[in-house]
Amino acid sequence: MVLKIQSLVDNKRLSTQELLQAVYQGLEQGETEFEIAACGQHDIGGPLWSPKGRLVFKVTNPGQRLGSMCLDGTTIIVEGSTSADVGWLNAGGEIIVRGDGGDTAGHCAASGKIYIGGRGGTRTGSLMKHDPAYAPPELWILKNVGSFGFEFMGGGLAVVCGIDTPAGLTTLGDRACAGMVGGTVYFRGEPGGVSLATVKIEELDEQDKKFLTAGLPLFLQKIQREQLLPQLKDLAQWKKIVAKSYAEHAAAKSQSGALKDFHKNEWLQNMPGGIFGDIYADDGRVVTLVNHAADRLRIPEWKNYIYSAPCEAACPAGIPSQLRFALLRQNRIADAYKLVLEYTPFPGAVCGAVCPNPCMEACSRCRVDTPLNIKALGTFSADIPAPPLAAETGRKIAVVGAGVGGLTAAWVLRLRGHAVTVYEKDEQIGGKLFNAVSRERLDFTVLQKELERLRSIGIKFKTGTSVDKKLYQELKKDYDFVVLAIGAYQPKTPSWPGKEKILPSLDFLKKVNNGEKPKIGKRVVVIGCGNSGMDVVFGAMQSGAQEVTAIDVQQPSAFAVEIERAEALGAKLIWPAFTEAITDEGVKLNDGRVLPADTVIIAIGEVPIVEGLLDKPELTRGYLRTGEGRLFESNVYAVGDLTRLGLLVEAIGGGREAALRIQAALLGAEYVPPKMRVAQDKLALEYFSKEESPAAVCEPIKEALRCVSCGSCRDCQMCLKSCPENAITRVVLEAGDYKYVSEPKKCIGCGICAGVCPCGIWTLKDNPL
Amino acid sequence: METVTVNELTPNDLPWRIEWDPCLCKLCGSCVAACTFQAIRVSVEARSYVYSQGDVPTPLEGERYAVPVIKQTATVQQHCVGCGMCEKTCPNRAIRPRRNEDSRWEIFAREGGSPIKRGGRANLNAGDRTFDKIVVGRISQMTDPSLDAERHTFDILAPFGRVLPADKMPLSVKDGKLSLNKPLPPVRWIYPLIFGDMSIGALSPRAWEAVCLAAACLNEKYNLPVRMCSGEGGMPMRLLKSKYLKYMILQIASGHFGWNRIVKAMPEMQEDPAGILIKIGQGAKPGDGGLLMAAKVAPHIQAIRGVPKSDLLSPPNHQGLYSIEESVQKMFLSMNAAFKFRVPVGIKTSATASSVSIYNNLLRDPYHIVGGYFIDGLYGGTGAANEISLDHTGHPIVSKVRDCYLAAVAQGRQGQIPLWGAGGVGMTGNAAADAFKLICLGANGVSVGKILLQLMGCIGNDHSRCNSCNTGLCPTGITTQDIKLVRRLDVDKAAQNIVDYVRAFDQELRKLMAPIGNSSLPVGRSDALVATDKAVAEQLKIPYAC
Repeated sequence: MVLKIQSLVDNKRLSTQELLQAVYQGLEQGETEFEIAACGQHDIGGPLWSPKGRLVFKVTNPGQRLGSMCLDGTTIIVEGSTSADVGWLNAGGEIIVRGDGGDTAGHCAASGKIYIGGRGGTRTGSLMKHDPAYAPPELWILKNVGSFGFEFMGGGLAVVCGIDTPAGLTTLGDRACAGMVGGTVYFRGEPGGVSLATVKIEELDEQDKKFLTAGLPLFLQKIQREQLLPQLKDLAQWKKIVAKSYAEHAAAKSQSGALKDFHKNEWLQNMPGGIFGDIYADDGRVVTLVNHAADRLRIPEWKNYIYSAPCEAACPAGIPSQLRFALLRQNRIADAYKLVLEYTPFPGAVCGAVCPNPCMEACSRCRVDTPLNIKALGTFSADIPAPPLAAETGRKIAVVGAGVGGLTAAWVLRLRGHAVTVYEKDEQIGGKLFNAVSRERLDFTVLQKELERLRSIGIKFKTGTSVDKKLYQELKKDYDFVVLAIGAYQPKTPSWPGKEKILPSLDFLKKVNNGEKPKIGKRVVVIGCGNSGMDVVFGAMQSGAQEVTAIDVQQPSAFAVEIERAEALGAKLIWPAFTEAITDEGVKLNDGRVLPADTVIIAIGEVPIVEGLLDKPELTRGYLRTGEGRLFESNVYAVGDLTRLGLLVEAIGGGREAALRIQAALLGAEYVPPKMRVAQDKLALEYFSKEESPAAVCEPIKEALRCVSCGSCRDCQMCLKSCPENAITRVVLEAGDYKYVSEPKKCIGCGICAGVCPCGIWTLKDNPL
Repeated sequence: METVTVNELTPNDLPWRIEWDPCLCKLCGSCVAACTFQAIRVSVEARSYVYSQGDVPTPLEGERYAVPVIKQTATVQQHCVGCGMCEKTCPNRAIRPRRNEDSRWEIFAREGGSPIKRGGRANLNAGDRTFDKIVVGRISQMTDPSLDAERHTFDILAPFGRVLPADKMPLSVKDGKLSLNKPLPPVRWIYPLIFGDMSIGALSPRAWEAVCLAAACLNEKYNLPVRMCSGEGGMPMRLLKSKYLKYMILQIASGHFGWNRIVKAMPEMQEDPAGILIKIGQGAKPGDGGLLMAAKVAPHIQAIRGVPKSDLLSPPNHQGLYSIEESVQKMFLSMNAAFKFRVPVGIKTSATASSVSIYNNLLRDPYHIVGGYFIDGLYGGTGAANEISLDHTGHPIVSKVRDCYLAAVAQGRQGQIPLWGAGGVGMTGNAAADAFKLICLGANGVSVGKILLQLMGCIGNDHSRCNSCNTGLCPTGITTQDIKLVRRLDVDKAAQNIVDYVRAFDQELRKLMAPIGNSSLPVGRSDALVATDKAVAEQLKIPYAC
C-alpha cells in the first residue's frame, strides 16, 4: 500500500506540522511507502523509522530541509528540485533529488547518500562530517555548485560532476572549501577559487578511481541520467580536493625556513652580498654576546710603566720611587739605591733630609694607612758611589752657579759623557744647600759625601769665578750649551723705617754654616716663618741668642717638624704680625706692639742678582723669565731660584730638565716629557691592609712590599690567575725582564685583568674594528 | 674609612641598579664582556672581620682578603640603561639590572649643559592610551551575517595615491565604449600596514635589510603587499636597481639625504618604487628635524648621505617651502614629476592641532597629485631626539585621524586622499587591534616602526628601558653601525619574526573584520566601535558603553 498525502486540500494548504502529523499517523498504521504532493512544507522524511522495514517517500515540491536528520532505512525521492538544506544532518538516509538541490545541500550530513541530478546551491556540502563508526556520507551532484561550497567540511565524500556548468562559472564556484579539515571533494572541470590555504588539489589515486568507477553508474541510475556515463567516466578529467593534514598545517605554521630560503635563494641571488654588500663590509656571521679575538668589544693592553706613579709625578725631580721599590722586591738592593742617582746627586742631603717629600704626600698608600718612607730611602743612597760615566762625547757644557740646580744639571750631563765646567763665584760649591740650610736640618757629613761624589766624576769646577757679561758671552760661544743657575741672593726687604738695621738671612746663615759664629744680640727677631726663617732661628740659637722670636704676616709656612724643633729650642712664633718699623727697641708692629730685639734678621725670600751678568733681562717679579722648556737664549737654559724661588728639589728638577733637554738637543732627539700620572681609580688599594702603626725604622724591603707599585707591574700574577679564559701568559724577556701578554684568540675582553690589577697596568681599549 | 663626597654619583643615583650576587657568580667575565655601555666593570673589594671565639667576647682577627667583584659604573657617560644583556648572558643568574625608583637621573644627566638625548619614544603617559579605551562593540550576530575570520577570504587592501571620485574620472564614451581621456593619478592598493620610516643610519645595515627582506618576503611568499618606507637616509644602490624596489616607498625629508643616489639610479631601475613620502615632521619630535648622532655616521652613511662624520641634523622644515599651498604645488609636483607621474606621492606631518587645516588644504588638490596624508602621532619612535621633545611635544594620533576623516566627510571627500595614521600603533604588542580601530575611525592604513625593532630583538620599552638608539651602542645590533654589535643581529631570524608577526597581524585583523561583517577594510565604520570612556566617546563621536 502507498499512503498518498495531498498537502493542498480544498485550496487549503496543510501546515508543515499538519502534513508531518499525517505522516506520523500513517507510520503508526503500518504504512512504509508515502507519496507526498507537498506544497513547500519542510523537514519531510526524517528522522523516521518503522518496525515494518524500509520507508520510501516520493515527494514533489518539498520545502526546506527535506530529509533532515534522515535515518538509514529511509529513501526519499524527489522528482524535481528541492529547496535549501536537503539532507541537513543526514544520518543515514538515501536522498535522491532529480532536479537541483538548493543552498546548503547536504549541510552537516554525517552518514547516508544524497544524489542530486542538478546543481547545488551556495555552501553545498558545508560542515559534512564522518563518524568512523559508520560509513562516510556521500553527496553526489551532477552539475556545478554555488560559491562557498564544502566550507568547514570535516569528513565524507562529495562528488561534483560539472555537467552543464554555465559559461563564466566553475564547477566549485568561488571560495570553495574554506576551513575544510577532512573528507574528499571529487570534481570535474575548473575548480574555481579554492581556499588553498587549507586544502590541496590532487590527482586521483587507485582507490579514488575505484570509488568513482563504482559510484558513477549507480549515481546516474538513481537520477536516471545513465546516458551521461561516457562523458563522466573519463577519470582523467577528475581531480580531488583534500584538506591539508593537521601535521601539514602545524608544519606550515612553524615553518621557520621560509624567510631563510627566500633570503638565500631569491634575495641574494638578485643582489649577491645583500643590499649593502658594496658599501658595508659584513661577512654575515652571527655572533653571540661574548666573543674572542676580533669580535671582542674591548681589548686589554698591558701598559707597564706607561704612566707615572703619584710619588714620581709629585716629585719635581721626577724620581720614580715605585721603581726603586720594585727593585727592592726583586732583591736588587744595590740597583735600587743606585737608580735615584739618575735623577739627583743629592738623595741623602735633599730627599733624605731637607726635602718636604711631596712624593710621600702623594703616595697612594696614604689612602690605605701611611705613605711609604721614601725620605729614609734617600739616605740609603748617600753612600752609593757614582754610576759609571758614559763614553766621552766631546760636547761641552758650562754651568753658571754651583747650587743644587746647577750641580744637578752638571751631574746629569757629565754622567752622559759630556765635558762639564761649573763656574761658581764662591769658593765652596753647594749653594744654599751648603750655605743656608741649617746643619740642624742637614747632617753635614751626608752633604760632604754627596758633594764629594759630585766631584768624583770629572766635572770641572771653576770656583771663585764670577761670570760677568763678558765671560757669559764667551761661554755661549765656547760651549755647546750654558746652564744659568745663579740662584737668588738679594733679600726682599720692604721699605720699613730702620730697615738698614736688618740683617739678611743668607749672610747670617752662611756665616753660621762656615762656623764663623756671627755676632748677634741676645734678643733676636726673625722676620719670616718659612723653613729659611727656622734655619735662622736655629742659627741664632747656635750663635748665642737667648730669646728668639719669629714673626710672619700669615700662618708659618715652614714644615711642622721644623716649627716643632724651633719651638722646642725655645723660639716663639708670632703671627699674624705686620712689621711697621725697625727701631732701636726692636720691631714695631702695626698694632702698636714692639718686639724687643737686639738683632733683626729677615728671611722672607730673595730675588736673583742678574745685573752683572745680563743686560736688562726680562724679569717676572724679579725672576728671570724663560721661554718654553727653560730655554732662555738659543743655547742657554736657566734653572733654580734664578727663575723662581722654590724648594731644593724643584731646583734639582729644573737642573735635570735642562740637562735632559740639552741631551736631547745634542742627540737631535725629542725631549721626553714626564709621564702622565696613573689614574687613581685604576689602582686596587683594597688588596693592601691597613697597618697598625708606621714602622719606626725604615726597613726598605718591608716598605717595598707595602708599595702599591702604581702604574708599574708588581708581577703579582693576579691577572694571570684571574683570567677566566686563561688568555694571559707571563713572557720572560732578557735580563730578568718580563711582560704579560693576553692572547687575542682566547681573550673575551671582559676586563677582569684590568679590574684585578692592583697597579693599574691592564687597560681596556675599545676594539677599533 | 672611605672618602665619598655628597656630589659624587653612585649607583643609587642612576635609573638602573645592577644586582649582582657574589655567591652565584663564577667570574666568567661574560656580563662585563657583553655590556656595550661599560656600565659594569670588575673591581676589587676587601673583606675583613673580627670574630669572637668561646663563651665570652674574645676578639680574634678573621681572615682578611680581597676579592674581585662586578661593580656598577656611575657616570653620566657610562651608566646602566637596563638592557639586561648581563642577565641574558650570565650562565648562573647572578646579575640583573633593576629599575631604581630613587633615580636622580633627570637631575644630573644634563651634565655639561647639554639637553638629554635618547632614542625610543615617549615615556610619559605611556600607559594611558586612547586605543585601549575603545573596543569593537558592534558584533554581527543575528542581525546580519558575520564572517569567519579564519576561513573566509578578505580583501585587506588600502590605497596609496590620489583616488578620484566618479564625477572627476576623465572618462568619455566613444563608439559605445568607455575610454580615458588622460592617465589616472597613480594609486597603489597595498596592505594597510607600512613598515615605517626608519633610515639607513638610524638602523644598522643588517636591521634595515631585515625589514626590507621581510617586506619582500611577505609580498612574494605570502601575498601580503606590505610596503616599507625608506626613512630619510636614502637607499642602497643595489636595492634601487633591483626588482624589489617596487615594495619601497622613498622618503624625502628636510635633510634631503640620499637623493643623489636615488636620482643616479633612475636610468637603471627595473621597477618604479611603491611611492614617495614627503616627510615634513615626525611624531616623536614634532617641530624638530631628523637627528643622527655622529657615533652612528659610519663611512657608508657618510657616502649615501654625502656628508662627513658629524651629528647630522635635518632642518625642522623643508627649506624653500613656506606654506601648505606651496608644499602642494612645489614639493608634490616635483616628486610626482620625478617618476613621470607614475608613482603616488604622499606627505607626512606630525599630528598637530593644525592637522585638519593641512588635510583640508590637501583635499583641494586641484592637480590630482596628492596621494596620501600620513599623520604621525605622539608615541612615534625615533632613533635619536632631545628628551624634552620626546616627552613633551606631540599630539595623540587617534582623535587627529578622526578629525581629519570627519573633515573630509563633511565635504563629501572622504577616501579621495588616503589617510594613514602612525604613532604608537602596536605599542602594547597588538598592532592589529590598534590598526583596526584607527581604520574604523577613518584611517586607510597605519605605519609601524618600533614594534619592528622589538620583533628583531630590541629590548627597549616605553618605561625607560634601554632607549639608547642614539648612542651607537645598541646591544642588539639593531641601531648601531659598529660591526661588532651588528654581528649580534641574525638577519634571517629578525626578518622571520617580522614576517610571522605580520602574518598573525593579518589573521588578527580578520578576527576583528569578521564579526563586524566586513570582508574589506572598514574605513570609517565607527559604528563598529564603542568607547569605555565618555570623553573619548564624545571626542571621537562614537557610542559610549559601560
